[in-house]
Amino acid sequence: MEADVILIIVVATALAFDFTNGFHDTANAVATSISTRALAPKTAVTLSAILNFAGAFISIKVAATVAGGIVDSDLVTTTVIFAGLIGAITWNLVTWYFGLPSSSSHALIGGVVGSAFAASGADAIFGGGLLDKVIVPALVAPIVAFLTAGACILITYRMVGRLRPGSVNRGYRVGQIASASLLSLSHGTNDAQKTMGIITLALIAHGTLEGPSPDPPFWVIFSAATAIALGTYTGGWRIIRTMGSRIYKMDPAQGFAAQGGGAAVLLTASHLGFPLSTTHSITGAVLGAGAAKRLSAVRWGLAGNILVAWVLTLPAAAAVGAVTYGVSRIFGDGALGPLLIAVSLVMLIAAMFGKRLRQGPPIAAPAPGEA
Amino acid sequence: MRATVDSGALLELAWAAPVAALIVVVAWGLVVVGTARAGEARRDGRSVRAALHVAMAGVGATLFVAAIVVGLIITSDKG
Repeated sequence: MEADVILIIVVATALAFDFTNGFHDTANAVATSISTRALAPKTAVTLSAILNFAGAFISIKVAATVAGGIVDSDLVTTTVIFAGLIGAITWNLVTWYFGLPSSSSHALIGGVVGSAFAASGADAIFGGGLLDKVIVPALVAPIVAFLTAGACILITYRMVGRLRPGSVNRGYRVGQIASASLLSLSHGTNDAQKTMGIITLALIAHGTLEGPSPDPPFWVIFSAATAIALGTYTGGWRIIRTMGSRIYKMDPAQGFAAQGGGAAVLLTASHLGFPLSTTHSITGAVLGAGAAKRLSAVRWGLAGNILVAWVLTLPAAAAVGAVTYGVSRIFGDGALGPLLIAVSLVMLIAAMFGKRLRQGPPIAAPAPGEA
Repeated sequence: MRATVDSGALLELAWAAPVAALIVVVAWGLVVVGTARAGEARRDGRSVRAALHVAMAGVGATLFVAAIVVGLIITSDKG
């Protein structure tokens, strides 16, 4: 009975993380499309939500664990997973509150690293894995995307520089719809799997599923797809505003260069077996497309804040994960600790969302002819 | 701490990602330029020139669609 309660709590928390993952990362796919008026805000998040949902069904090669190779899997229990998820959700909410794009995957890894450290000590953490899967990609993604998008926008301006701005803007707005759609589909495939993997792990630990790598049941795939789609539909407007218009005022060609360049970097990296963070890649591309046009157009102070958030993601999520595990253990090995923490988190989220989520209206569209 | 960063993949990423991105951007650029120039040529009554620009836009659109298809294949393969 106690094990059933813990399983239910872990599944609900994993879906809650999936939801925050969706609304936190909506900006990656749609921010530039909204700010250049390629898509109306509601249309953009609806399209992105549908494609995130569809993307979740494209592949069910569930990653054994998102922290595989980073944390000793023999030492990962359902309570460690629960505490890690709380760390990731907390960091996602904090960065959303400040309107800062940050990697949900890195937050989840950080949370699990922290809770595993609290549970089993430093031996549970593989430093080399952390370097390979988090630190090096976090350095590579924004730099490659920045340079790529910068080159893309320079070539774009070279190609279309003598054309009438009206037809150029219309053309690149159409292109942005395609690039936003591809990014949304890719996001659903990639990120919903993290949740599927976590729930599958919990089901294995509970004894519901057997075998070394069983396929997730349909309800797991469906619920993960639904949670990420609902999160995406809700729209993390604060982050959308940051990426779409606060870093600099972008034109449709810049939006296309950022999205197209960022997507190309992401998919090439994925093809080479070197997966990068969507957030890091797209943010780097947005900065590159802006800086290549005019260096002073970019608000570098804001870019610095985003960088600080990226640096803090792992340690902050790890700290929350470790504290959550510690608090949970105060109440013993049973379900009481996770239950109390989960209820507290739900109340906190209800308080934050009830007021704040609707406060962030869709970003203002530029005046006609302005973009 | 022993890192096993695949430096080969990293180097390949450093040139392959920009090349992939430039293909996408040039392809869509051809669509935008071709469409705009074809419209101008039609307005000026130069139908042969318009047809050439439509063909250029077509080549760009084909390349762009091919890039999207490759992206979809990579998306469905990963995980």
